[in-house]
Amino acid sequence: MRIHIVLTGRADPGGDQFPGQLELPEDSHVSDAVAAIKDSLPEGESLPKSCLLAVAGRHLGTLDQHENRLLADGQELLLIAPMAGG
Amino acid sequence: MLVTRVGGMGGPAALMMAMAGVGHIIIAHGKTMISADLNRQLLGNEALLGKPRAEHFAEYLRSMNRFVEIEAIDHEPDDREALELARRCDLVVSCPPNFEERLRLNAASVAAGIPFIDAAQWGISGTLMVLQSPRTACLECIYPTPPPFEKLFPVVGAISSAIGSLAALEAIKVLSGTGDPLWGKMLSYDGYRGIPTVVSLTRNPDCRCCQGAAETAG
Repeated sequence: MRIHIVLTGRADPGGDQFPGQLELPEDSHVSDAVAAIKDSLPEGESLPKSCLLAVAGRHLGTLDQHENRLLADGQELLLIAPMAGG
Repeated sequence: MLVTRVGGMGGPAALMMAMAGVGHIIIAHGKTMISADLNRQLLGNEALLGKPRAEHFAEYLRSMNRFVEIEAIDHEPDDREALELARRCDLVVSCPPNFEERLRLNAASVAAGIPFIDAAQWGISGTLMVLQSPRTACLECIYPTPPPFEKLFPVVGAISSAIGSLAALEAIKVLSGTGDPLWGKMLSYDGYRGIPTVVSLTRNPDCRCCQGAAETAG
């Protein structure tokens, strides 16, 4: 199945190499998508643990601690890197 | 209502609320005006460089609407003062440059049982949340561990003003009962791509901050 990936919020190292979409096996979960995203980043670069995750417009937690929902073909996985600029 | 701080986002938020006639606004902002902040701090100008911000910002706000009462606090409130201020207010607009202060204001709002609007930016993107636990998540439900402090960050005044103005709009909606505020949602505006996104935020039933508030309400 195909999952659309959107990285927004604070720009992060590796953001330019971020995959716009992922091809994953059927019955993949959010953790599978996150693992694939991490694998796609340049060596030594990572997303912040407090990056927010949302699927189909629903917040699931942070990259570090989140609901591990089953994904469906065509869904959008949104990652919002935390920002606190005033 | 309380707005802290009143720089790039809190400044336009306070200005829009004062001009709209929000009757009593408390602004909190410490330290003196520095040159690097002039790209976004609408309430300041070159003449304020090196001078304390809060009272000058308050004077500017008063000059924009003689019917509005503006109270200035020349420092960032600690836990105790934040709670005292929240208990005097109907709503808090949170615009500090770090999560430590944001979470402190969130905790004060939860304890006082009032709505909490959080506005943030980075570069040319921004986020806005309208929260009031237990009807929605609180900020600590969303960020149980504060993301690290970033002393230097890029900022373009246009995004600060845009998000600050939207924060004021949500505050006016909440206070006046107009429209449908973004309760329990995060509006994220990706300025790099020009794409807005709205995410429904989920309460953490085990949240250290708002769990007690939910039990009291429930």
